[in-house]
This record gives sequence, structure tokens and C-alpha cells, in this order.
Amino acid sequence: MSSGVAPNPVCLETFQELKIGKKHKYIVFGLNPTNTEIIVLKTSQSTNYEEFIADLPEFECRWAIYDFEFEKEGAGKRNKIVFVSWSPDDAKIKAKMVAASSKDALRRALVGIAVEIQGTDYSEVAYEAVLDRCNKGA
Amino acid sequence: MVNYGGDEVSALVIDIGSSSVRAGYAGDDTPKAVIPTTYGYHRAPPDADSAMPDVADPTQAGTGRSSKMYMGQFGPTVWREGMEVSNPLVDGLVHDFEPASALMRHAVEDIMRCNPSDHPILVTEPAWNTPANRERMAEIMFEEFQVPAFYIANTGVLNAFAAGKGSALVIDVGQTMASVTPIVDGFVLRKGLVYSPLPKLVHAHARHILANPNPQRRGIELYPHQLIANKQAVEVGAPPRFTLREDRLKATTDSWRNWYEAREVEEWIQSVAGVLEQGWNDQVAASRPPRQYEFPTGYNSWFAQERYSVGEQFFWHSPQLMASNPNLPKTIPALITESLRACDPELRQVLVGNVVLTGGGSLFAGFGDRLSSELARSFPHVKIHSPGNPVERRYGGWLGGSVLASLGTFHQLWISKEEWAEHGKVIVGQRCK
Repeated sequence: MSSGVAPNPVCLETFQELKIGKKHKYIVFGLNPTNTEIIVLKTSQSTNYEEFIADLPEFECRWAIYDFEFEKEGAGKRNKIVFVSWSPDDAKIKAKMVAASSKDALRRALVGIAVEIQGTDYSEVAYEAVLDRCNKGA
Repeated sequence: MVNYGGDEVSALVIDIGSSSVRAGYAGDDTPKAVIPTTYGYHRAPPDADSAMPDVADPTQAGTGRSSKMYMGQFGPTVWREGMEVSNPLVDGLVHDFEPASALMRHAVEDIMRCNPSDHPILVTEPAWNTPANRERMAEIMFEEFQVPAFYIANTGVLNAFAAGKGSALVIDVGQTMASVTPIVDGFVLRKGLVYSPLPKLVHAHARHILANPNPQRRGIELYPHQLIANKQAVEVGAPPRFTLREDRLKATTDSWRNWYEAREVEEWIQSVAGVLEQGWNDQVAASRPPRQYEFPTGYNSWFAQERYSVGEQFFWHSPQLMASNPNLPKTIPALITESLRACDPELRQVLVGNVVLTGGGSLFAGFGDRLSSELARSFPHVKIHSPGNPVERRYGGWLGGSVLASLGTFHQLWISKEEWAEHGKVIVGQRCK
């Protein structure tokens, strides 16, 4: 079941720039004000993970793509594309509902995601938690 | 009326449960009409008019004394001579569509004062609904109610979405059924769906406790207040002093009496019963403060340990009970285990980390805490989402439907009247997945 909200073509283009061109470190997606389209809210080259976390608002839902780079023990550097659905407990029901029912449309449009994370509070999207998931899947 | 992109589609949302039918406008945060699903009726017309209309004749239903069906606020709860009561739902599924459609009509037309042919209607269904049932529902909506558009959505998915999760393990405890539904990316994982009539067992257990005498007190009579002429205040535990309305007693049907006694038990459960957070322990149960409760007869007593044994039935059954009844409904932990066992191992952790607790039955005191302590024993990272607001818990499915149906973009997914006329029943299965 889905809400019928579709991603703007720019979302896909920006994702390709991240995946192939490595132009961005992370992308934050959100809904436009009338809840009809998924749009790119922010792109950034910052490698500071805390900055990424700061872009996930406390009371609003977002989706994000993060190009996660980590050291695999004894196996060198790895890169993984992480998809985060950010839906904090304190967000409004309507916002959470639209976000949850629209996620699939965005998620399916983006090819090449290695790890998917559902975050409802900051501990679930913390660096260690994401690292743990990436390590497991590698 | 079509207004793509905007959030104004003037849709209605109807959620039918075993205990109540919820109906309201999409976009609202509470249903406008909440009526009991149980309705009253007369087997034979009280006046000797042989040409009485059909039971579910919508023009007659709910108009009061002249009709044979009594619904809503002044429906089954009002005592009437020779009135029987019945419920169109069996195990959470609509079994008898004629009264069900009359109930929906009563909620929409008589309470909300809407004309259903002006509004798209979204109806919810439990995950174990049958294809035949949902097609029948679509037929009623298009052919009888003449709705311009229709959609049927799964309560489990709606509850998960309302909690902001695309993937979740939805634990829904209703009046007759308890179910565990794994939702992955907005779809029900059919193989992991499990449900049992556990709440009925809990209810029967509570009734057994009340109706049977024990060393501390006598068996309690559950006369509803409609059958009591007067009563006097009595000391705690003293035999009640009341007089029954003999004039009514004879004309009371068994079905009504049974139903109302069940309501008395329900009321007792809701006011007094609880569940221990850390599993059963005689000492802990005995150390909890007792609670006083007064029945309609005037009998009142303090309930201590036994009030916790009621909730315990949700989580644990004694070996004796299990041996004596092989078809015993499964407990909540057993349902969860069974559901997870059917899911892929990598999914299990995701599901356990996103448990959504919903349904009126889950409002039982201590239920959420007990559930989390049960789950913590088997899984390292458990996170339970249980709204503290009782309205969100009770009407979670309705609320999810309300948000979904209010979205302008959702409009393209509705089944329109034209599509129904062109494709017929098959479109329901294709569109509403």
C-alpha cells in the first residue's frame, strides 16, 4: 500500500551524482509543503557524521542517503550507501503516516542501496549503530 | 469534488471492530461516530404487524421504536421487551453483511448526517480478511451506498504507518481477537500472520472469577442496572440488598442478558484488572494494593491478587489448563514466537526493533511493560511503540485510514465508480494490496 506520493526526478539525479560521481557525501530528502512530491532538501560534502545527524530534525520526518565509509577489520576501506528513514516518535501522526507510506516510492527509485535503517530516535541512527549494520552486511 | 494535490477530498473512513464501528471524516483525529457493533432486534414484531420490513431494510433501520433493529447509542443498551442482541462479526470478520451495512448506514447517515453517495469511503479490514469478504464489502459500497470511490486498507498496515514505520511487528489486541502481523515495507507478510481469540479467554476467565464463590466471598450476581429496581448501600463484602424489576425479568432475552453481563465483566476488567510487569509472582501480586469495585447490585468488594490473574492469561497459561483444553488460544508470547519463526532471520531483528502495540485490549494496565519484559528475554534490542494516548491506541486503524484518505495524492489509488462498473470485483484484489 502506498500514499501515491512520487519522488521528483531531481531526487534520482542527485542520487546518481552521489553514487557515480561521488559529488556528495549525503543527501536529505523530504516532502514538499503540500505533501505531493518527494524533493531534495539538502546535499552536503561534509564528512563529519555529526553534521549529518544535525540535519535530521527532532520533530519532522526525513529520508536520507549517506555514503558511509568505514574500515573493515583486516580488509581495508569500504563504502556503503545507507538509506535512512527518519521518523522520530515525537513527529505528528500525519507526518509519520505520509512518510511511512511514501518511503517505498523513493526507496525503489534508488538502485544500489546496501543498508537500510529505520530511525525513530537518535540512538538508532548514531554512528556506531550504522557502523554495526554495515559491518554485519559486508 | 476532484481536487488533486490538495488535501481536501471529503472522504469518510469506516473501521469495523468486534466491539464498535468507528466512522468519521478523513483528516480528523478522532472518529465522529463510535457505535456498538452489537445491535438489538426483535425476532417477531412486537405489534402484530405481519408486513414488517426486512431486518436490514435501510430505510427502517435505526429510526427508533417502529423498526426492528436497534442500533447506536440508544440501541442495544436500552432494555426492551423481548429484544435479542446479535453481532455481525465472527472472529473479527464480517459474517453477516446485512446488519453490518445497516450499522454503517446508521453511523454515516443518522449520526454524521452525510449522504454516502457524496463521499469516497475508505474501509479497513483485518489482515485475515478473505477475498470474498472484501469484494462483498466493495459491492455494498458501490451498489447500495452508491459511493463515488472506495478503498479497503489493512488495519495492520495502517497501524504501522500511523506509528511512522514502513516495517513493523503490529500487535493488535481487540475485543475478540489478538493478532501479530509482520509488516515489511508497507505490506503484510502473510506467512508470519498469526491470530487467536485470546481476549475471549481472558474475558471468560474474569467472568469465572466473578461468578464463582471463593473462600473470601460469595459468587457475584451480574445483574445489569436496567433490571434493578432499587438497591441499598451495604458494607464491603456484605450480601447485596436490592430488588429486581420483576416486570422486566420475564421479558428479558438470554442473548441480551448474556451480552449485558459480559459488559459488566468488561467494566470490571477495565477498572480493576491488571498484569504484573515482570511475570507472575505470588508475593508481588499480594503486595499490590487491592482495589474496590461496586457492581450494579450494590455488592462491593476489594479485589487483590485475583485482579492480576486476569491479565496473566494474556501471557501465560497453566499446564493444567493447557492439558484440559487442547484448543486453547495461544498466548501473546507464543503468537510472537510463531510469527517471527515464519519470517526470515534477518527480518526478525528489524521487526522486534519496531513493535507497534495497538487495539483497545492493549490498554490493559501494565500490558506494555509486561510485553517489553517478555520480549527483552529473547531479543537484545527491543523497541515498543505504544501511544500513551488511549484514543490513538483504540482507534489506531481508523486514525491511519483517516490520514491516508485525506491525502490528495492518495486520490489516484481509489477505486472509482467507473472502474467498478468496468472491471467488477477483480479490481478490488488488484488495487488494494
